[in-house]
Parts: sequence; C-alpha cells; structure tokens
Amino acid sequence: MRDIRKFDARPKLDGSWKFLDDITYEGMIYGQLLYSTCHHGIIKKIQFPKDFELNEFTIVSAKDIVGKNLVPEPEPDQPFMAEDKVSHFGQIILGIAHPSKRTLISFIKQIQIDYQELPAITDIEECLENEDNVFGREIIIDHRREIELESNWIHSHEIYYTPHQEHAYMEPQGIISIWNPADRKMFVKATCQCPYFVKHAVEAIMGKAINEAVIETSEGIGGAFGGKEDFPNVLAGITSLLAYKSGKPVKIMLDRADDFKITTNRHPSRIELHTYTDPATKKIMKLNVDYRLDAGAYQTLSPVVLSRGVLHASGGYNIPDVYIRGRLFRSNTPSNGAFRGFGVPQALAAIEAHADKIASQLNMDPYDFRKTNIFKVGNEFPSTQKITENHLEECLDRVVQKSDYRKKLQEFKEWNVAHKDKKGIGISMGYHGGGYTGNGEKILNSKIKIIIEKDAKVKIFVSSTDMGQGAHTTLAQMFFEAIKHPREKCWVQLPNTSKTPDSGPTVASRTIYIIGTMLQKFALKIKDEMGFTNLEEYVASHQSDFPREFQIKFTPDPTVSFDDNNFRGTAYKDYSWAACVSEIYYHADTYQIELKKIWNVLDIGHPVNLKIAEGQVEGGNIQAMGYALTEFFYKKDFGRMQGFTDYSIPLSLDIPEIDIEFIHTDSDVAKGLGEIPMDYPAPAIRNAFHNAAGIFINEYPLTPERIFKQISSPKNHRI
Amino acid sequence: MKFYKPTSLPDLFRIVNDIEGKKYYLAGGTDINVQIKKDMIKDEPVIFINHLNELRGIFEVEDKIIIGCLTSFKDLLESILIKKHLPYLQKSLNAFASPLLQAMASLGGNLANGSPTADLTPPLLVLDAKLKILSRSKMRIIPLAEFYRGYKQFNLKHNELIGAIIISKQAEAGYDCFHRKIGSRKALTIAKIGLAGLKKAENGIIKDIKLAAGSLNEYPRRLIKLEEYLVGKSIDSLNFTDIEEILQKEITPISDLRSDKEYRWQVTVNLLETFLKN
Repeated sequence: MRDIRKFDARPKLDGSWKFLDDITYEGMIYGQLLYSTCHHGIIKKIQFPKDFELNEFTIVSAKDIVGKNLVPEPEPDQPFMAEDKVSHFGQIILGIAHPSKRTLISFIKQIQIDYQELPAITDIEECLENEDNVFGREIIIDHRREIELESNWIHSHEIYYTPHQEHAYMEPQGIISIWNPADRKMFVKATCQCPYFVKHAVEAIMGKAINEAVIETSEGIGGAFGGKEDFPNVLAGITSLLAYKSGKPVKIMLDRADDFKITTNRHPSRIELHTYTDPATKKIMKLNVDYRLDAGAYQTLSPVVLSRGVLHASGGYNIPDVYIRGRLFRSNTPSNGAFRGFGVPQALAAIEAHADKIASQLNMDPYDFRKTNIFKVGNEFPSTQKITENHLEECLDRVVQKSDYRKKLQEFKEWNVAHKDKKGIGISMGYHGGGYTGNGEKILNSKIKIIIEKDAKVKIFVSSTDMGQGAHTTLAQMFFEAIKHPREKCWVQLPNTSKTPDSGPTVASRTIYIIGTMLQKFALKIKDEMGFTNLEEYVASHQSDFPREFQIKFTPDPTVSFDDNNFRGTAYKDYSWAACVSEIYYHADTYQIELKKIWNVLDIGHPVNLKIAEGQVEGGNIQAMGYALTEFFYKKDFGRMQGFTDYSIPLSLDIPEIDIEFIHTDSDVAKGLGEIPMDYPAPAIRNAFHNAAGIFINEYPLTPERIFKQISSPKNHRI
Repeated sequence: MKFYKPTSLPDLFRIVNDIEGKKYYLAGGTDINVQIKKDMIKDEPVIFINHLNELRGIFEVEDKIIIGCLTSFKDLLESILIKKHLPYLQKSLNAFASPLLQAMASLGGNLANGSPTADLTPPLLVLDAKLKILSRSKMRIIPLAEFYRGYKQFNLKHNELIGAIIISKQAEAGYDCFHRKIGSRKALTIAKIGLAGLKKAENGIIKDIKLAAGSLNEYPRRLIKLEEYLVGKSIDSLNFTDIEEILQKEITPISDLRSDKEYRWQVTVNLLETFLKN
C-alpha cells in the first residue's frame, strides 16, 4: 500500500503524451457521422446538396460493408449502420470523409433525409410501464421459502425510478483508421477500454476485405467510465470502412454535442419493491423485486447489466424469502450501455431507499433497522451463495461511528425545529462483486505476456487500458512490489493487439482484481522457481537466459461455480463492501439540496496504491452526487442535448468534503474498486434529504423542481 | 460568412455605416462563437472589435463610473474603483460563468447579447445604469431599462453600438443590496432565476426600492409596478397576496429544459419575501 506517483501524470501535464485528437498521419482526412434525427422510421430519400463536388467526398453506407452489418460483441443485435430503417435517434446512416473539416461540416449540415415516420417509444415511462415491450431474456432469481404471510406484517410497496446518465468523460469518442493494402491490415488508433472488442468489430465489418485488424490505444485516454466499452466498436467499424474506401488514413472525432446525442448512457430503471416486515422482530421476511431497465433500441450489453443488477437487487439484507424478476425493455433511443456501477446504482437506488421507508414505517432509526436486518456469516445471497465475512456490517458500524451519526441526528432534529432550512443525515450501504459475473472470467480466460530484458527491465503486455484511472501504474506496482524490483524497471506497454495478448476488457472492476492479481502471483512464482531474492542480480548472473518471454493464463478457482440458467451459485468470488453517511443542507426558499459531506468506509481488500484508490472513491462519489441531484436529460429529447450547458455535472465548487477510510487493508486480495464508490452515495443523499425534510422522493435526480412539486402536491412526480 | 476587422474607431463606424441590416460585434466572443457553431449566426457579418482599446477601461468622471463596453468581467472584479464605489456590483460579478469566461467576456457583450438570463443585467438595472450609445456622428445616453424591447430586440439603430456603461458613484450608497442567481449548481450555470434589489427603509417603512428580474421575461427588466406599490409600506405588515397579484403582471416565467414555471414563480416569491423582510 504505497503511494507511487502515477507515471502518466507528468507527460499529461507537460503535454508530451498524445490524446487521439493530437495525432495526425500523413494524408489523413476527416470523417464525420450522419445520424438519424428520426426516432423510428423508414429512410425514403437521402438528398445531397448540389453545390459540392460529390467526388471529393468518401461516403459509406451499410451497402459498402464487406463483412457483416452487425456489431459482434457483446450481444450481436446492433447494426453498424442503418439499412433502410432507423430504430432510434442518433442511429448512424452514413460515414462521410473529406480532406477539409470545414467543408465536411457544411456538407453534412445540408444533407436532407426524408423519413416515413413510425410510432416511437421515447419516454421512459412509456417504455418501462408497458409489459408487452419486453426485450430479450428474462432473469428470475427464485429464493422463495414456504413462509406464511402474517396479517400484522407491514407491507411496504414502492416504485423507484432512475434516469439516464451521461458519462461526461473529458475526451469525446474518436478513432483513426489506416488501411495498408500491402499487408491487407487495418491499423486502428483508438480511445477505448477494450481493444479486442474493437478488433473483433473491425474484422466483422471488413470481412474478407482485410487479413487482420490491429488496434492500438492512444497514449492518453481522457476518461471512459464504461462509455468507451461498446461505442468505439461501432465507430471503429465505420472509420475503417471509410479508410478502406478512400485509401487514406481517416480520423473521426465526435464533437461534444454529437457525443451527447448518439453514444451510450446509463440505463434508466423502474424498480418495484414489495416487502413484508415483522413488526415484532423488525425483520424483513419477504422481498419481491421487479427490476426493469430501458435497454434502448438494441440489446448490446444490456443483458449483462441486467444480470449484475438483479444479483445486487436485494442489498445487504438477510431476507428469508426473496423473488427477483429482471427484464429489459425496448425504446427508440440510443442503446444504453456500460457505465460505472453497471446496474448496481439502480438496484441500490431502490433497496436502500426502501430500507429507510420501512424504518420510518416502524418508527425506527435507519441505522438500527439496517443493523437488525444486515446479513451475517452463514446467511446467503438470493443466488444461494454463502456470506463468508461480516465486513459489510463492520463498514456500516465504522462509518456511523466516524461520522458522529447519532449525535448529528439529534443535533439536526433540534436545529430543524427552529429553522426553515433543514439539515439532514442519511445512510446507505452496498456491495459490488468483482470481475465478470458467474462464469464470465472462466470464459474470458485472460492472458498476459511478460518480457524480462537483459537489463532486468520488465515489460508487461496487457490489453487493459489506462484511461486515467491509473491502471498501468497500479498493475506495474503489483508486479514490482511483490518481488521488490525497482519501479523504473517495470513498465506496462501501450496496448496493441498485435503485441499484447487478450487480457479481457477494462471493465467490471476487474483490472487490478483479476489482471493485477495474475501479475502479482506470477512475480512470486518466478521468484520461487528461479530462486532469486533480487531479480536484477539474477538476470545479471544469468545473461544467456535473457531476454525471456513468459505467457500467463488465468486460472479459474475450481470451487467457484455458477448456474447461468437458474442464477444459482457463486455469482462473484469476491465482493467489495461499503457503507456511507452523507450530510446535506436543505434550502427551504429555493428547494435546493446542498451536499455538505460524505463519509465512506470501504473494504476493497488491499488498496495497492492508496492515492489512486482514494481518487477512485472521490470520483465515484462526485458522479453519484450528479446522479442524485442534478443530472438528467430534458424529456429524453436527445436532439436537444447540446452538451454541458444543458446537462449539469457537479463542478469543483459543488463538491463536498469527502472522507475515505479503507478497512481490512492487510488482506491478501486486491478486490474491485472502480465501481462501488458510484453505487452507494446517491441513496445516502436521498435518505439524508428524507431525514431533513421528511419527504420521500422515489426518483433521481432530486432537483429543486421535483422537490417543490412533491411539497406542493404530494404524490409521485416524474419530470 | 463575412468578417471585418476595423483598424480604428473611425474605421469601425465607417464599416458599420456601410452595412445595412443585422450584424454582430465580436468582443470576447464567448457568446458569438457558440452561436456560430450552433448555426444561430449564419450569414450575418461579424465585426471584430476586441482590439479597439478606446472602448476598454474603467474611469471615474465626476460623480460617475464609466465602463468601456469591452471591459472584461475580470477587469471589473479586480478594479479598485469598482471595489470602492460599487462593491455590490463587484460581488454580483461572481455569479457570472467561470474564471475562464470572466477573463474573456465583456460587459458590453453581455448586455448586447440580450439573453433573458444575462447575469449582470438585473444588478445593473437596479443601479440605474445608463448606456452610452455611439454611432459615426452621434452619441446618445439612454437608461439600460429602455435598451430592451423584446426577446433580443434592442433600442439600437443599425449604425449604433454600446460604447460604455455609466453608473452613478452614489448608486448603491445607503441601500440594502440583494442579488440572487438560482442555477442548477454553484457556478458556470445558466440562471433559472436572477433577482436583484436595492432597498432603503426608515423606521420599518420602505422609502425607496428598486427591483429587477432576469430569466423571468423575454428580457431582464425592472419590476416597476411592484416598486411603486411597495414604497411607503411597512415591512412588518406586507400583504403578500397583493404583492403576488402585482408580480403576476410583471413576470412571465416559462417551463423549459432548465426549470418549470411553477418553480420559477414560487422561488421568485420566496426570494422577494426574504429580501423584503430582512
């Protein structure tokens, strides 16, 4: 647990590292996407403006696709480009390239497309309330027991809604493709999380036209948060098609407005909960969850978001009888995709608000209620996986203690009597399974390559990308700290699919947990096998053995098994645990919630690099704060979203004091961290508002407009 | 799209005189550049003026402060003259955008853009700011309150531009000053509501009051009828039913992507109440 400075910090500050838009190639031309402004319809006619030399432009449509017009991963149902029909606003119809960016922009602005409009579902409510609108496979987790409902049990029934959320990464999406007819290879420079997904997509769209696609990331990747998991696959496919047709390197860089309009977002949700609680023991006896997500127009990776969502839907509670039903719903909006948390922020938005709801029905403190119902060693998840540690409860106790929760609760109660403005404090807790769900890691079968050079320099080849989260620093650190190798002799190489093996996508809080652990174990293994105490000295005395290359493969834990059909078994080998307290100040004259402080206590196992780990928690908290308070799409009108002017993310003045503590840091395991700090804070903020103002609001964001509506006519309001 | 870069002030007026019809003056460019990108400005000529330093600066002339139209928000925030005579105005400047935009944006541009949500217009309105309007052969001075005539409609001839903003050094003296901007976050936000007020009271009786609202009409404006009603009233026995009735004639809040009319209305009432009673 050392603070090693991120090795990308300096080159990013001094500007020597290139981001995608800093890169140009000789003869490079610029591409742009022409996308649908119709939500659902048949393309009748595309009319190009007359006062342009058409032959100066390279234009590709679905007809130019040599291979298949289907993005192969994760769920192969989305076309790269629309054929004769569009299924959502923002669906790509044409890729167009020209040497002059300015000419290209004015040309594209003047292209007219006539549609025959078809009925469209663009409203979250319409999408998620209509039972006929289900899409793909339904998931059931059935953990029902023969329990008779007692007539005095308290029934709590609520429906919780969460909105779209935009990733708001600093660097928009972009791709450069270069076609080399000599060796029939397509070289792609990408700002992405998953180089191998991009490779498979480019090879799918290009088919027999190319021998191979080689994907290399740019040095700097300006944030991703899940947004660069699936959309780069589409973009790289079309950019490559343009490069192939024009014979020139092509760069497509989305501007912010296009990025807002056409790329993936977090899935909106509608989660309906029924609970029955025994008033004598204060224990929840029965839970029924109806978990629905708006998938958008295509499934893509929604099925995996759904599976993670339902597996986290019952929260940290030990409930004897649980039934969870998860479904995807279709809408005519861009496909929703991966976003930090991956179904869990939605799950916790429901269950953690519901816990406070039941507590208030029982006239019980939310902390005491959680203490009564929290799961303990020997209990099990609805998937029947056994709980093997009480670390969630330790997180909860610690965060309550360090935030002075009890004392503040009393103080605020007294203060609130005398003031129009209100102070409030709220709790939430949660967990996040590390790595792919169920058998996912077994199927992924990640590989790593390592070369130890003659000068004892260790080169690590992984397809995991560093998008600013510090993965490459931390991965190297896990290797060199294990065998006390000097830090300057250990480097993660720039991911390039012709050099780095497939270590899986950079997602699912798996990079440090899975790939880092593989590196750490490998370092200890060679130390053991070669019998050295100092690698440098060993290499110096065994020069003829070096340079030496090693291939490492993921070894699945044979005790871990999961039944994908019935959702039973070990869904995740290791869980990270966390609990949170948030303090708010409610302005009665403007109905605004001001977030004052967040306390986080987490068990992520061993934090490899404390500064980087804290940075993850801070970033996750701030993203959750935007989710809870300010971020939403105006009536889901994608056409109108222009970017940050209309979509309000928290800025430095809004950010509260953030307190972070990790427990069980002496653990051998470095568990998942990337997502959990986004999962749990939003319900704590909402619960703090309930504590302050006595008002339940079942939908994010808690905008002052929504609060005012709730006060002036109390019922469930939707924006 | 045609751009002009005049070499001097006389050259500017020569160009301006020659172009009939709509045209844009580009000072800091923080609004114009966005509008060009969004195709809100397509064919109209754009004239660069940011280099014409005669139009920049903060001056003390007798009992007035004169602010050249190109003066940036940053210049105003750092000005000792403004700090000394118009501290309320200086504090209000903080509501505007971010340090980056404050460094580029000009006060003249902020007024001439004519946005209903312009942050500085309500405080300037209650300070009874005046505009010095220039053309090739003429100069006229009008109250800021008479500058706006509708959504992005101005009391300005085709050959005129705002040369300077004039504020009396005594404009704030002896008043309780109030300015609130309500947005979706603490900074860099477009106002849902902007409310400014100056109030003078003696023995609990309102002697003089000036109120102005932004984001609540097609352009920021003074709430004259409410001001007239309030003068002479006792602060402790204000009748809010009457106040709301008059206010209803003075503001027309709308629902849009930033907020809704019910919220805008109620918060305006709440903020007015806070200001009037304190």
